[in-house]
Amino acid sequence: MSSGGPPQSPAVAKSEVAVEGECPLLAATFAYWDNILGPRVRHIWVPKGDQVMFLSDGEVTFLANHTLNGEILRSAECGAVDVKFFVLAEKGVIIVSLIFDGELKGDKNTCALSIILPQTELAFYLPLHTICVERLKHVIRKGRIWMQKGFNIISVLSLEIVPIMELLASMKTHSVPEDVDIKDTVLNDDDIGDSCHEDFLHKAISSHLQTCGCSIVVGSNPEKVNKIVRTLCLFLTPAERKCSRLCKADSSFKYDTGLFIQGLLKDSTGSFVLPFRQVLYSPYPTTHIDVDINTVKQMPPCHEHTYNQRRYMRSELSTLWKTDSEEEIPPDTIIHTDETFTPDLNIFQDVMHKDTLVKSFIDEVFMLKPGLSLRSTYLAQFLLLLHRKALTLLKYIEDDTQKGKKPFRSLRNLKTDLDLTVEGDLNIVMALAEKLRAGLHSFVFGKPFYTSMQERDVLMSF
Amino acid sequence: MIGSPDLVAFTKEDEYGQTSPDPWALPEEFSVPLYPLADSNPWAKTSYAKFTKDFILISEFSEQVGPQPLLTIPDDPKICGTFDLNYFSLRIMSVDYQASFVGHPPGSGYPRLSFVEDSRVVLGDSKEGAFAYVHHLTLYDLEARGFVRPFCMAYVSADERKIMLQFQELSLRFSQASECLKAGNRRAFAKELQRKLRDLEYTHSVLQREEGLQREAGPQRMYSAHAVEKANELANVEKSIYEHRDLLKQISLYNRRPRRDPHAVTCQKCMSECLSECEALLDKYAKLANPFSYNNKGEKREEGQADGGGGDGEGDEEEDESVKRRPSYTPQLIKAKSAKCFDKRLKTLLELCENTFYSATVELLKETERSFRGDLCYLHTRRLDRALCRKQRITNFLFEEDLGDDDEDEGRTLRPFCAVNHAVDNYSLLNPPPIVLGPDHLELDSLEPPDPLDPASETSHTQESELGLRESHLESSPSDQTLETQESSEETKGSFSSDKSGLGQSERQQNLAGMKSEAPDPDPDSDLTPDPDHNTDMERESSSEETETTAGDDEGDNKEDQTPTSLLEVVSGLEASREDVCEGEAEEVSDLLVQIDTACCMAQEGFLYEASAPEAVPRLSQNSHPQPLSQTLVVNQEPQAQIPLQDDYTVGSPCSESPAAGLELPVGLLGDAVSRTSVEDGWDCTMSASTGSDRAASPLGYGGTVTLRQRKKAGQGALRFVRQYPFAMQALWCLLSGRTLVVLGADEGRVRRLVAALALFVPSPGKCGERIQAWLSCPFTLTDLQRWKLIGLQRVASPVGSSMLYSLSRYSRYISILDADQKTLRCPPYRGQLLANIADHRTYIRRGSTYFLHVQSTLCRLAAKAFLFTFTHHLHLPVSSTEGPEGLEGRRCCFLQEQLGLGEEDSHILLYLSQLITHQYLQPANRSSATAPCFSFNYSTSVLYKI
Repeated sequence: MSSGGPPQSPAVAKSEVAVEGECPLLAATFAYWDNILGPRVRHIWVPKGDQVMFLSDGEVTFLANHTLNGEILRSAECGAVDVKFFVLAEKGVIIVSLIFDGELKGDKNTCALSIILPQTELAFYLPLHTICVERLKHVIRKGRIWMQKGFNIISVLSLEIVPIMELLASMKTHSVPEDVDIKDTVLNDDDIGDSCHEDFLHKAISSHLQTCGCSIVVGSNPEKVNKIVRTLCLFLTPAERKCSRLCKADSSFKYDTGLFIQGLLKDSTGSFVLPFRQVLYSPYPTTHIDVDINTVKQMPPCHEHTYNQRRYMRSELSTLWKTDSEEEIPPDTIIHTDETFTPDLNIFQDVMHKDTLVKSFIDEVFMLKPGLSLRSTYLAQFLLLLHRKALTLLKYIEDDTQKGKKPFRSLRNLKTDLDLTVEGDLNIVMALAEKLRAGLHSFVFGKPFYTSMQERDVLMSF
Repeated sequence: MIGSPDLVAFTKEDEYGQTSPDPWALPEEFSVPLYPLADSNPWAKTSYAKFTKDFILISEFSEQVGPQPLLTIPDDPKICGTFDLNYFSLRIMSVDYQASFVGHPPGSGYPRLSFVEDSRVVLGDSKEGAFAYVHHLTLYDLEARGFVRPFCMAYVSADERKIMLQFQELSLRFSQASECLKAGNRRAFAKELQRKLRDLEYTHSVLQREEGLQREAGPQRMYSAHAVEKANELANVEKSIYEHRDLLKQISLYNRRPRRDPHAVTCQKCMSECLSECEALLDKYAKLANPFSYNNKGEKREEGQADGGGGDGEGDEEEDESVKRRPSYTPQLIKAKSAKCFDKRLKTLLELCENTFYSATVELLKETERSFRGDLCYLHTRRLDRALCRKQRITNFLFEEDLGDDDEDEGRTLRPFCAVNHAVDNYSLLNPPPIVLGPDHLELDSLEPPDPLDPASETSHTQESELGLRESHLESSPSDQTLETQESSEETKGSFSSDKSGLGQSERQQNLAGMKSEAPDPDPDSDLTPDPDHNTDMERESSSEETETTAGDDEGDNKEDQTPTSLLEVVSGLEASREDVCEGEAEEVSDLLVQIDTACCMAQEGFLYEASAPEAVPRLSQNSHPQPLSQTLVVNQEPQAQIPLQDDYTVGSPCSESPAAGLELPVGLLGDAVSRTSVEDGWDCTMSASTGSDRAASPLGYGGTVTLRQRKKAGQGALRFVRQYPFAMQALWCLLSGRTLVVLGADEGRVRRLVAALALFVPSPGKCGERIQAWLSCPFTLTDLQRWKLIGLQRVASPVGSSMLYSLSRYSRYISILDADQKTLRCPPYRGQLLANIADHRTYIRRGSTYFLHVQSTLCRLAAKAFLFTFTHHLHLPVSSTEGPEGLEGRRCCFLQEQLGLGEEDSHILLYLSQLITHQYLQPANRSSATAPCFSFNYSTSVLYKI
């Protein structure tokens, strides 16, 4: 005998996350399409403490359910993660939803992992969208494996939801402003060696540009660190600056994957431990700058970095797949290895290639009188030159390969024709071009196999 | 015995190299691809989309047939290819994002209109490779369920990143379009209510009459069933009238409600116009409802305020008069239960909005589609490029495209504008986006003057005139107005007020006054239903005005009579208009340069000019002006003079302050010979500009801004030149070091093409290419050499030809001669390395556009070095009081040679560019004049280069 009435909704679990500072995130939700009940919210994460805007659980649930509306028509490939982005003025919120398929109780379900922010944070959030989405996408990959095994996905998702809340909170207080005043940077010094050694500055900027504008600056003195952070930010676009973070004066932030530049404070022992996995998961290779000992190290170029990253991701997912127990979520810090791939832990190497572009810029910019707008103008001219060179290079390759239909075989001609014979110059321009056209390094430097610097040099001589 | 079929199972795996799958191996669907598509081809990411280009899709969630596509922009089926628009419409409209209450709320007597804010959604179909920015909006329709019709406008692209990176800009553009549609819809809705109310009134009066008759016909205190039915019907109609009046009141309150959307863009003028119209209607129908208001005294009290004492006879008389003035609509009898019929025909989008607003929205969306067209990486770079160029205005004049004056800050490029051409100041963006990806108002297409026959441009005129907005005729919307024409339109306003013959001054003032007061028409009908005749006239006028306004600077002052009766009028008109431009720009630059220390420039000025004869030319020009220009010039006007001006042939000094103005050669303005006496040389100088078809080959539009597209085209010619001529480097050096290059040839087309190609390398070519003379068929003078840095000269075998050759040889020490026929170049030798990279005939650069980019970056580098040289203090100021000019000179040479590593000839380039920057900086008033700061030369022997 049936009890009558509609089936009872399962209770929505809720986690309150303690986040330092004001977190612009209102809530994160995990919802799924129940074949009987329709869209259901399974879990809600909310930051603990004061918020700009309050959403009741009912409102959160209503919004989360909305993210799955229309997904009954979804016809994506298995394993695909689709992103939906809502700006609902009527509710005054932004919702970012990642839609994916997963197995719940033996059934294939459409699921949605969403984060909800106030609409007023749109301009703040948009530059960080890609970072958040990429990080959430990867945790969803892990979550899908967990679901497949019949385990609770929430614990896996929490591994990234909480850091994203922390990231957004930290960016709210310490992100680099869109316009950096040159007066707050090393480029305002009277002379080149005033703040830091000339060669160090050159190497730092050059390597920073060679690694697509992605750098971490570590040191014991927050002011010194931030001055270098701001200096490097001058070489980024305004949107990229909004994805950069200054270091905190009293304690250090954690390293965050995806930011362009981040200042990190060393601990009392004078060290800062970088998480290997997170650094490897950065979309671009990273330059490591230590302002205490004036060292600059960089990761291998884009195509090697991407290859390493993917190998590591596969290894990590594979390890998760082989896990037997729900209690054994492999922590992020574990270095995943398998029979075919052992990551090279020495990912930061010396900057090998000298350039002329940055060298001459550094030499010349200090000739102009500081305090006026002369140096800013000269900097703008330098950046314009770099961007135009990158676009020219891109167009050159596009013409030569018929938009990638043919392999690129004339790197030497390119270097001669575009005046990029100096290796460092080529690296800088290639890095800028990579940001415009992802995958360019892999395309130009042959198959994206793991190449050492020497191998790459051999390739480039063709 | 084991047979072969049994073995197949064992052999198969080995044969095909397949092993049994590892049960512990991670399935691919849970993994990440090791070699994603982007690695093998970075251009192929979006190749699996079924459509070729981005497009805009307007869809509706129809209450009858569900989601359906209505319109695509561009309206070309090829764009969408095999992409299933029906399915995609279903996908994007399958969610009610604006879920709010519509219809009768509980406890409310009347239906409520729901004022919902627009929603913006980015979603995609990863399988189809289609992604979209979707802007959901709701329009009102009296006959629709809940009075609402949900629509959406979607920007569909195969590149998800493109949408997300430009989200704010897309949002702003679509918000503008949405507000435009909604403004039109509110007016249309009010109009519809007006009609409905009139029908109801009429029905009411008919029913009342019938009921009265029946009551009289029947016995006292006895009501027949028919009479009861009539009475009920009457009550229903009355109720309906109240409901519709309430709807009218609601719609008039639209813009008084608090906006919840911080990103909404509203035009205050549209809002206030709509509001005043609605209020006028509301007033009117409150009065009209009075005849039956005695039936419901309670409600009468409620409506009393709006009533305004309409019950008296005077009010009725007024109303009668106004009714008489409305011949356009005949009220109809409304049958009971006629509404809410499911088989009714739903209004089209055009019917839902007024035609004006609909057309304006479509125009706006077309403009949006155009501005977002193309690959993200090029869009992104172009914006970065412009943002960076804005920071270096001091050197932009050397080689950069003119940025125009209206985009000093990026925010202004995104300043919202009214799609129906209301003044821009009326707009308020509730919360302007902090990240500004400025739409490219200098979109290549839009830089060209719009075709007067273009239906698109005509549409906007129609919109203006339908609204009766006289003032807005003078304002072009950014969609069809270039930076140039914005300036000229400003000027045009002045000239209209005095010169316009079609409309009397007083009439114009009345119209303008009417506009400014924004008072609604006493009879809303006349506003809502414009007089078609009047409309046509207005449309015609505005069209012609618009055509002139956007035709370019040169024509701005010739409104009264397009055909110039005298050459002098044209020349003086040209000069006057350009003077204005120069002055405006000068102020702006001086503001920009406040912070830059002038000390080094001041000191450098002496240095730069000491080797030259700065006074010579001005003196010459003063002498050459013993009388005003109009008196000295002799115009031999031929019948061809009646031909309207061609921009390409408008040659002359852009500013009257130009030292060479006195020797202005009004060349080829009228397409044929014009002669005058040269004061200096005393010879008859005949200059002509051929009307040959080849003239179109010239990318330099004199009198119009040289656009990026034209320069890119020139890149192809430049690449060809570099490949064909081994001495190209020498020719480029001449141009970059300020030595005038004369391209000599018999074939006009060839000469023009060469000039067009070489023009890329002329420093400070002027906003309109004033320093380049593409085709000259008479001898030139010394002052011409100062004015023009690149001259295309006709080789003729006539006495004129011999005098030209004479002038060539006479001035040979100042010029370089590129003989296009003989393929030779006579110029001083160049042994530098600075230009080796852009003039290498063995270059593997394949396309002109790529070569143009390469040239652009090289020239950008040169400009930077010149800037450095100009503003490095210690190169121009003595370090001690004892240091003389020799010391400074030595330091400069040392800087050029050792710091920048330049040889002697390369140094000349930098010195010349620096000289131009100094001149530009110190005399910003003349910045747009193409006058050279000085006329310098050296005595190097020229060498003849041959192929």
